[in-house]
Amino acid sequence: MPLRLLLCDDDLAIVRAAEFKLSRAGYEVECAGDGQAGWEAIQRQRPDLLVTDCQMPRMTGLQLCEAVRGDAATRDLPIIMLTAKGYELTEAEVRQRYGVLKLVAKPFSPRELLKSIDAVLRGDNPAPACGESAQTIEPSVAS
Amino acid sequence: MAMANIDFTNLPRRMALTATVAGLIAAGLVCAVAWAMASVPSWWVSAPLAVLVGMAGVGIALAISLFWHQRIGIADAYLRRLAQLDPRDMTEETVSANLPQLPTEFPLGPALERIQAAFTRFCTQIQDAEQGRALLDIRCRRASQQSEQMSQILAGLAEPVLVVDQYNDLVLANRSAEKLFGFQVEGVEHRALAKLVKNQRLIDLLKETHSRSTGTARTDEIEIVDDVGRPCWYSVTATMLMAGATSTDTAPHLAVVVLRDISSQKAAQRRNAEFVSSVTHEMKTPLAGIKAYVELLADGDAEDEATRDEFLDVINTQADRLQRLIENMLNLARIEAGAVRVNKAHCSLNELLEEALDIVQPAAQRKSIELVAELSPMHIRVFVDRDLMLQTAINLLSNAVKYTPDGGRVTMRSRLVDDQVEFEVQDTGVGLSEDDCERIFDKFYRVEKDSQMASGTGLGLPLAKHIVSDVHQGNLSVTSRPGEGSTFVVTLPGTKQMTKVFERSTV
Repeated sequence: MPLRLLLCDDDLAIVRAAEFKLSRAGYEVECAGDGQAGWEAIQRQRPDLLVTDCQMPRMTGLQLCEAVRGDAATRDLPIIMLTAKGYELTEAEVRQRYGVLKLVAKPFSPRELLKSIDAVLRGDNPAPACGESAQTIEPSVAS
Repeated sequence: MAMANIDFTNLPRRMALTATVAGLIAAGLVCAVAWAMASVPSWWVSAPLAVLVGMAGVGIALAISLFWHQRIGIADAYLRRLAQLDPRDMTEETVSANLPQLPTEFPLGPALERIQAAFTRFCTQIQDAEQGRALLDIRCRRASQQSEQMSQILAGLAEPVLVVDQYNDLVLANRSAEKLFGFQVEGVEHRALAKLVKNQRLIDLLKETHSRSTGTARTDEIEIVDDVGRPCWYSVTATMLMAGATSTDTAPHLAVVVLRDISSQKAAQRRNAEFVSSVTHEMKTPLAGIKAYVELLADGDAEDEATRDEFLDVINTQADRLQRLIENMLNLARIEAGAVRVNKAHCSLNELLEEALDIVQPAAQRKSIELVAELSPMHIRVFVDRDLMLQTAINLLSNAVKYTPDGGRVTMRSRLVDDQVEFEVQDTGVGLSEDDCERIFDKFYRVEKDSQMASGTGLGLPLAKHIVSDVHQGNLSVTSRPGEGSTFVVTLPGTKQMTKVFERSTV
């Protein structure tokens, strides 16, 4: 029985690329176009891991994380967050507040995303595999 | 004037009386001598002699009296005249000219001349004192004018100004400061600033300033909540007044505090940071697509030709998207810098709008938004820069699609109104508040509550506004109410007018 992943992103190209890579690696991948659709999919059938974008219409990634952590059935669902956000988010913050295991910065490598997912699902302490994502995302503007 | 108080009126009468009394005493004495002599010879000799001697005495007394009466009259006239002179406008020459001429060898002459000299000195002193007083008056008036001006300037300053002594007690505050901190200085002296101004950073800044030497200034940026509870940022400069200004050691050491509202600067900094953040977000998204698909191709994940083509197509689309974003930014920068090259030509407005609708169609479809074209049945010719006007129509349409919930409707209309051409984009979206309607065309402005709904740079509408107003002398306006959708209307001058405008601008 393959492990089930839920991919949540409003950018079709991103979803398609990630889905393609992860399916080829043997995962069963479900896709959702925004946070609301993602939450509905989770309630229908709990996935083994959630990969979500941050900025999405209807329900943002952070709101989705809050919903997931607020529900007893999904409280321990592993979450990886994909984001193109600049300085507003730090990995430490999302880790602490939303229990996000990994923050993967866009543009991202599907290969490294796959490695991170493998690591999380194997229960390893996720290594800083995804390049930029391992660092705290520093403000991109001089203050 | 002391001179004016001397009473010269009774002087000659008194002197004449004295002379007469002296004459009578002399006559009496002569009579007594005659009586004594009369006791010697017989009475008929002595009696007439005594009468004669007595009469002679009376005559001498009258003569002396007359002599002095005449001279005292002259002196009296002289002194009366002198008393009438106004010492404030007399010089030595005018004093002499105004007094009667004294006869030569006049016995009272030297005394009168001394009086005249003293009077002349008195005139000079009086005049000096008057001059000094006038000068003092002028200085006094000037000082009070200056003081009045300073208070008015201080009161009229838009910047709040406070003055405190070394104990941080308030000495002075202008109207702006009273308004900002919500107190009234009038009628109350010596008030602790810490009680009037609930801002610890400002108090700390002042304490630090007091510990410094005079003439030095300290500046800090402090957030202050104003009288209506709105937080504002101020650049606060506290300066110790120079020692010379307070003159004595016992004078209080004053510090003046000037506050400058930098809220708009802070807001601009924040908008700029938000702009950079949203631009980078907008750029990263297509870049993410490109990188991901390049990697999939490089890793040989796409095994068949069709998949490879699909991936290449995605890369191409994402690159186009990135290019559009960059062009938007460049166009705005160019138009703002006045460096845009405008190529105006006659074209069909409806064709242009249909092209814009086609471009936005995929985005509308993804959100199940119905894109409706209600274009004028007439052939409307416009004289515009086609690329720029197409950009405007796309920006308005994609904006409407972005902020309209799924399943909504976006309508594009065109029409001729009098001599003007109009096209409008109406949506059934979230709508805008009155404040948002005013600020929506500001660069980088994004409606905060809607910013989560869609990504954007806050550049599309300002760019459209620039293109319509500055490049085409038209007008772009918005009517909207929260929850009731928005309508953006572009008004362009008719073709004839536009041609004229163009010809004028190219001459």
